[in-house]
Amino acid sequence: MGVLRAGLCPGLTEEIVQLLKGQRIKTVADLAAANLEEVAQKCSLSYKALVALRRVLLAQFSAFPLNGADLYEELKTSTAILSTGIGSLDKLLDAGLYTGEVTEIAGGPGSGKTQVCLCVAANVAHGLQQNVLYVDSNGGMTASRLLQLLQARTQDEEKQAGALRRIQVAHAFDIFRMLDMLQDLRGAMAQQATASSGTVKVVIVDSVTAVVAPLLGGQQREGLALMMQLARELKILARDLGAAVVVTNHLTRDRDGRRFKPALGHSWSFVPSTRILLDVLEGAGTLSSSQRTMCLTKSPRQPTGLQEVIDIGTLGTEEQSPALPAEQT
Amino acid sequence: MQRELVSFPLSPAVRVKLVAAGFQTAEDILEVKPSELSKEVGISKEEALETLQIVRRECLADKPRCAGTSVTVKKCTALELLEQEHTQGFIITFCSALDNILGGGIPLTKTTEVCGVPGVGKTQLCMQLAVDVQIPECFGGVAGEAVFIDTEGSFMVDRVATLATACIQHLRLIAGAHTDGEHQKALEDFTLENILSHIYYFRCHDYTELLAQVYLLPDFLSDHSKVKLMIIDGIAFPFRHDFDDLSLRTRLLNGLAQQMISLANNHRLAVILTNQMTTKIDKSQALLVPALDLQHCTSRPARRSPQFHFRSRLRDFEMLPSLLLRHRQERL
Repeated sequence: MGVLRAGLCPGLTEEIVQLLKGQRIKTVADLAAANLEEVAQKCSLSYKALVALRRVLLAQFSAFPLNGADLYEELKTSTAILSTGIGSLDKLLDAGLYTGEVTEIAGGPGSGKTQVCLCVAANVAHGLQQNVLYVDSNGGMTASRLLQLLQARTQDEEKQAGALRRIQVAHAFDIFRMLDMLQDLRGAMAQQATASSGTVKVVIVDSVTAVVAPLLGGQQREGLALMMQLARELKILARDLGAAVVVTNHLTRDRDGRRFKPALGHSWSFVPSTRILLDVLEGAGTLSSSQRTMCLTKSPRQPTGLQEVIDIGTLGTEEQSPALPAEQT
Repeated sequence: MQRELVSFPLSPAVRVKLVAAGFQTAEDILEVKPSELSKEVGISKEEALETLQIVRRECLADKPRCAGTSVTVKKCTALELLEQEHTQGFIITFCSALDNILGGGIPLTKTTEVCGVPGVGKTQLCMQLAVDVQIPECFGGVAGEAVFIDTEGSFMVDRVATLATACIQHLRLIAGAHTDGEHQKALEDFTLENILSHIYYFRCHDYTELLAQVYLLPDFLSDHSKVKLMIIDGIAFPFRHDFDDLSLRTRLLNGLAQQMISLANNHRLAVILTNQMTTKIDKSQALLVPALDLQHCTSRPARRSPQFHFRSRLRDFEMLPSLLLRHRQERL
């Protein structure tokens, strides 16, 4: 809530601000919580004036409630379901990525998170013709791989170039730059609210753990706050701007050291509404196999525990050939 | 734009005082003068000025009219990124099997990890790459300089001199086959003294020195803009002993990895890390896995950076240093 300053609302003069400061009322929240009769007596201000002031400030700073029916209507018109381009992933996500929600893909190293993100970006940019923002925080994004995925979908070079132009890539290797960038995006999109073209429909953050993990634990006390700031920014982006947010997360060992769970702890587990765990197929042989299992561990719509198998070598193509991909030139 | 003060890189003491004085968002602070701020909050004038600079610089970037400063995060489309990737070269290793697997050589702007058992040839490969990065562009190289950070003390200058001499001879043979003078002219600068003087060597004895060196690197790299390769020989070594707090170790390694990736990306250089191997006992069988292994503890993004197809051949890569040694022995 804002600091009380002269001119914040009509009727709030510098004199009143100074008198209130003398009573240790510095912010709007303090004024809302104060006992106005006492304040009126001690400051020798009129009680009516203080009540009127409080009403005006609250109206300026508070949020308005919405009734359920209006909310449902709004959601029906504004929510879109974006297909990821991977049939089995769409099955797990109940038809695709929902705008207004944060979806998390967690997995160990080499399990295919970046590949899934690239496939989603390629599909949304080419198949659905929408803009994508790809935030890369661990250097795993290569445009040549995106081109390979697009070439598997269409041979037309103009269409490939068009799709590549719709994908914006930003590199943010620490938390403050990432927060800056998400803020910039919010500002830019709020100003373009009337223009329907040019709005970003999918925001992919690969990965969130890379920027947050160095801050958590030990003597540092701000790590958790910064992580929740990031969570808030992502949720505001998803909700206010009608975008689907995809984040990737790493795995960490359980407390008893036997099983794996998504990193960033309990607090982060409340942030995404859907969580998918990627794992190497057991018994499939060495790491050179490209088969992965996807398990749905959290979802607001589907029962958890659903599993599907994908081949990250031939993501998003019609034929699921078992051969490994060709050498990258 | 309502932006909380928590999301700015301010020092914790200053932030606590700002919140106690009632300032919570950037908007509250934007209109205030430094002297007023220092009086109200109880911080020194320099701190108030610094705080306002940080907050204002970030907020100024919100306005689309402002030209992008170095503080704003640069965005580019995937098409531009593709063009950049096509024009940037690879650092060749002079072993064609290795170059084939890597798709041309060690890629720039990415981090590559080389792991292997002791004596397999990791440091030899790094020394060879420190010479290869200096190959002139007309021979297919990147014509850059190298930074070598040594934690194990296994760098031997005479060996580098031998490698450099062999490289010069190899390039002379190639230049002899070309009739135009371009190759000959490029070779004039490619002498033993020049090669050795463009390898910047740092020796770090423990993890504190290593961390300090890495944090000082951005300034060094802005002075020496021709550096295209950074080698850290033995990233596991300073972290494997004398470390009681394992979570601190993980955090430090994560932070180090992010620094590496950030340097690789901002200064367009290749980062190579070498790692040791350790034995992991898993279900009554002993496996040889890379030390500080990321498969079974919190991940290390440095390992994830190798290109897509390179990851799938990571196991094969462990065999390659032994192939390399045999190849060298056959050549000599």
